[in-house]
Amino acid sequence: MASITLDDITKRFGEGGDSVVAVDDVSLEIEDGEFVIFVGPSGSGKSTLMRIVAGLETQTEGDIHIGDALVNQLGPRARDLAMVFQNYALYPNMTVEENMSFGLKMSTDLSKQEIKDQVTEAAEMMGIGNLLDNKPGELSGGQQQRVALGRAIVRDPNVFLMDEPLSNLDAKLRTTMRTEINRLQNDLDTTTLYVTHDQTEAMTMGDRLVVLNYGDLQQVGTPLECFYRPRNRFVAGFIGSPSMNFFEGDVEDASTLICDGFTYELSERMYSNVGDRAEVTIGARPEDIELHDDSIDTNGFEVVVDVVEPMGSISYVYIQPVDQSHEQTFVVEVDGQQPIAEGQRLYAHFPPEDVHLFDTKSGETIHQRKLDSDVEMLAGGQSQNASTSSSQL
Amino acid sequence: MATQSQDIDSATGSQWLDKSTQETLVRIGRHGLLLVWSFIVLFPLYWLASMSLKPPGEANALPPDWIFLPTVYNYIQLAQDGAFLAAFANSVIMVGASVVLVLLIGVPAAYVLSRWDIPMERDVLVWILSSRMLPPIAVVIPFFVIFRELNLFDTRIGMVFMYVSINLSLVVWVMKAFFDGIPETLEEAARVDGATRFQGFRKVVLPAAKPGIFSVAIISFIFAWIELLFGLVLTNFNAVPVTLFVYSFIGSRSIEWGMLAAASTAMIIPVVIFLIAVNKYLAAGLSFGVVIKE
Repeated sequence: MASITLDDITKRFGEGGDSVVAVDDVSLEIEDGEFVIFVGPSGSGKSTLMRIVAGLETQTEGDIHIGDALVNQLGPRARDLAMVFQNYALYPNMTVEENMSFGLKMSTDLSKQEIKDQVTEAAEMMGIGNLLDNKPGELSGGQQQRVALGRAIVRDPNVFLMDEPLSNLDAKLRTTMRTEINRLQNDLDTTTLYVTHDQTEAMTMGDRLVVLNYGDLQQVGTPLECFYRPRNRFVAGFIGSPSMNFFEGDVEDASTLICDGFTYELSERMYSNVGDRAEVTIGARPEDIELHDDSIDTNGFEVVVDVVEPMGSISYVYIQPVDQSHEQTFVVEVDGQQPIAEGQRLYAHFPPEDVHLFDTKSGETIHQRKLDSDVEMLAGGQSQNASTSSSQL
Repeated sequence: MATQSQDIDSATGSQWLDKSTQETLVRIGRHGLLLVWSFIVLFPLYWLASMSLKPPGEANALPPDWIFLPTVYNYIQLAQDGAFLAAFANSVIMVGASVVLVLLIGVPAAYVLSRWDIPMERDVLVWILSSRMLPPIAVVIPFFVIFRELNLFDTRIGMVFMYVSINLSLVVWVMKAFFDGIPETLEEAARVDGATRFQGFRKVVLPAAKPGIFSVAIISFIFAWIELLFGLVLTNFNAVPVTLFVYSFIGSRSIEWGMLAAASTAMIIPVVIFLIAVNKYLAAGLSFGVVIKE
C-alpha cells in the first residue's frame, strides 16, 4: 500500500524544436488505497503519465514519490507495482500458472510451495482455478483478462496500474469486468491507477478522476464533481454521454446572448457571472434540454427534428434551430415513449438553472448549473485546482 | 435477391451445371493440380533414390530400367570410403557450428534492431543485407585471399565463418520482423513483474520467438549444407564439405552415377532429421509470427 505523489511531471518526446510535450507540468497527490482514473482522449498523455509512474518511461522533469520513497532513479522492477496492459501481455509460452507465478519468482524469495499456494488462491479469487494448466492462446478474451488481473493481484503490490484493461472486451463482458474490478479494488484496498478513454468507466469506477487533454491537467475531482462542476468546456464536453451541447454567442445589452439560430436572455445570476465578457458559450446537457409543442417563455426557440435515435427507455433526438445560418444539430434526450418524428417542429427550452456558461476564448467555466443540496455535497468539496472563477448558485 | 443471384450465375456462365456438380468439379480439379505438382516435385527425388539403389552400369541405362533388383552396393561402397565419412562429418560439424554461431550473433542483433532506437537503423539493416547483394562468385576470390592471409584456408573454423557470413543477413532480417511482431508490452510486463531487461528477453521474448528461431535455423542449415562454391575454393583437404565430395564423382571422363546418387541421398538425411526435430515450430515460424496471440 502506498500513496503516490507527482511533482511537476513533464515528459517531452524528441529533442529540441521537434520535441512533443506528452505530459505538461502535472502535479498530483494520490492517497493510499485510492482508485484514481486517468481519463482523456487519445493523445492526452494519460497512458504516458501512467507509464512514468510504472518506470517504463522516464519523465523529462519532476519527481515521483511512491510512499515516502523518491523513485525517479528506480526501474519498474524496484517500484513494487503490478500492471495490467491493454493487450494483457500474457507470456504466450507459459501456462496460466507460470504466468501468475512469474512475478513472485522474479521479485520474492518465496519457496515453490508458497508461490503455488498464493497463485492458487488468486486464481480461485478470479474464477480461473480450472485454467491454470492452459496456455494464454487457448483462452477467450475474458479469461485472458482474468489471468492478467490475477497475475497482478497475486503479487500483492503497493500499486495497481491498469492501462485500458477493458477496451479489448465486447460490450457485455466489459460491463461485468468493470463491476468485478470495482469490487476487487474495494476488497483489496490497493492504490489503483486506471487509464481509460471510456467515460462510463471513468464515471463508475474511480474515487477520483484526473481529466487530461494534450498533456495538460484539466480537472481533478470526484466523478460527480467533474460532471456537475466542470472546470472548463473541455471537461464539460468530455464527461457525460452524449456530450454536452455548446452554443457560442455574443453578449448584447449585458443580458442577452445572441447565438446562431436563437437568442437567450441571461438570468440575473448568469449575467453577474458573465461580467464584461463579450463572447460566451452556453453549455446544456442533452438530458436537461426540454422540448415543447409551444413556446413556453421568451427563451424557447423553434427547432426542427433531424434524426431520432430510439434507445428503448430513452431516445436521442438530433435537432437544429429553424433560423440557423450554419447547419448544426444538437442532441436532446427524451423519454423513449414520447412520439417524435423526423421533420417535426418543436420548441427547445434551456431551463436556466441547468445551464453552464463558459468563456468562449479561454474555455473557463464562468457559471455553473444549480444542484440539489444533497448532490451539492457529493459534487462540491475538495476539488483540487478548483477554478476560483467557478461560482456556485 | 433471386434475380441478383441469377445474374451472377449467368455472368459466370455456369447456369448449365447445378451447384453440387460444380463443387465436385472444382474439388477434382484442385486435387488433380496438387497431384501434378507433387509429381513434379517428388519425381527427381524418386529418380535419385532409385538410381542409388541400382547396380553399377544400370544407373544411367537408356531407356531407364523401371523394374530392377534394388541393391545397397553403392551405400556399402560409400560407408567404406573414409574420405566420404570425413567429408560428411566435416559438414555436420561445420554447418552445425555455423548455425549455432549465426543464431548467437544474429538473434540478439535482430532484437536490438527491433526494440532500441538505433541511429540510422535502416542503413544498418541494408548494410547487413548488402553482404548478400553480390553474386558469390564475385566475392570468392577476395574471400580466398583473406582466408589465406588469416590462415583460415582449408580450416573448419574458416568454413564456419564463411557459412555465418552467408546466413547472418537472413537471420537478422527475418528475426527482426519476427521480434517486431511480438508486442513490446510482453517485456514491459516482465520488467514490472520484477525481471531485468535481460531476464525479460531471455525468459519471455526468446521463448515467444522460438518458432522464428527454429525457422531461420533450418533455413540457415540448408543454405550452408548445400553450399558448394566456397567449399570448392576455400578448402583443399582438411575441411572439405560433403557437397564437394559428391561433386568429385563427376570425373573428367566418366560420372559415377550410382555413387553420386547414393551420396546425394545420404546428404538429404541430416536435413530430414533436423526438419522432423523442429517440425512443430515450423508452421508457426514460417508465417512470421502472425499466430502469436497478444
